[in-house]
Amino acid sequence: MIPPQPIGPIRHYTSMLIRHPAFLGALIGILAAFSQALLISAGGPEAYGFCVACHTRDLVNGMTNIIADTNLALAPISKNAILPVMSVVGVLIGAFLSAKVNREHKIKRDTTRAYLVYFLGGFLVLQLAMLFGGCPYRAALRTGYGDGTALVFIITMALGVVAGTLLMLKRAEREET
Amino acid sequence: MATGILPKEIAIYAVPLVTLLLGLLIGYLAQRSGYCSIGGFRDYFLFRHTRILSGYLSLIVFSFLGYLLFWFLTPAAMEHFFWALSSDPFSPVPGAPAGLVPAAYLIFAAVPGFFVGFICVLLGGCPIRQTVMASEGSYKGGFFFIGMCIGSIFFAAYVSGWAVLLMKSLGFGA
Repeated sequence: MIPPQPIGPIRHYTSMLIRHPAFLGALIGILAAFSQALLISAGGPEAYGFCVACHTRDLVNGMTNIIADTNLALAPISKNAILPVMSVVGVLIGAFLSAKVNREHKIKRDTTRAYLVYFLGGFLVLQLAMLFGGCPYRAALRTGYGDGTALVFIITMALGVVAGTLLMLKRAEREET
Repeated sequence: MATGILPKEIAIYAVPLVTLLLGLLIGYLAQRSGYCSIGGFRDYFLFRHTRILSGYLSLIVFSFLGYLLFWFLTPAAMEHFFWALSSDPFSPVPGAPAGLVPAAYLIFAAVPGFFVGFICVLLGGCPIRQTVMASEGSYKGGFFFIGMCIGSIFFAAYVSGWAVLLMKSLGFGA
């Protein structure tokens, strides 16, 4: 067993800062605005700096269009650029590197039924998010941009979370008795 | 047509690169902090924990401050900021299927919002959390991500057309 090394106050506070969600939220907000200021000439829409659902859509549909020569719908910024937006690839690689560096990477298998449920969940969440035009993250960016519909989305999402949590609580109670 | 810092000829090459770097940084920090939007609301409702929720709230506040900052620096890139003042406050920023009246987009915000929250809390995380869990080695998160990938082709091929058709038949066509 190696005794934990004492760390200096600067490293202590830096590590505390990068592990706090509020810091990442602030960073995404500023960087999304910066990326719009940098890249908007390539095409719209506005408030599109970071979004998991839309950027997955752009990545998959854009690459399918390039490889299979189809004409699936995607945002103008991805249509005009040489390759679609790559932020989801970045998230996958970045999280993988972080998990590896901090020794948190661990293969977790599950049942086939769980895989099917999660597959369907991802499928449905994408349909719903694309009807609105964004996942929770783009909803936050759009609210910051001044869009009232996005605020409606966030409020009803919070209500949906409450309903889902109540359902989970009820199910847990039934299993106990 | 909005113009940003980079001219169009350079921006079309910069798009994949800049977004990749942005995603790398966000992915790394999201893994460190356990960032999640749905989880924030859930933890607040269940335990009154505000740690994860603070991430989502700070995203809303700082995206406004960020857009405000770059609106001062590069006004041409923020053509419609502040949206609620420059156009109808309850018309959406483009991104959803086009060609409907604003009331239709309110329905498209309220109904999917509820079900996104409902489904995601039952599966234990919003899209970014599932993506990060997939990278951490969770097969469930991986299947969620694959579901999103297949779903995006399905949405573009069928669902967006159906949704517009449905709303137009209900009298919401613009």
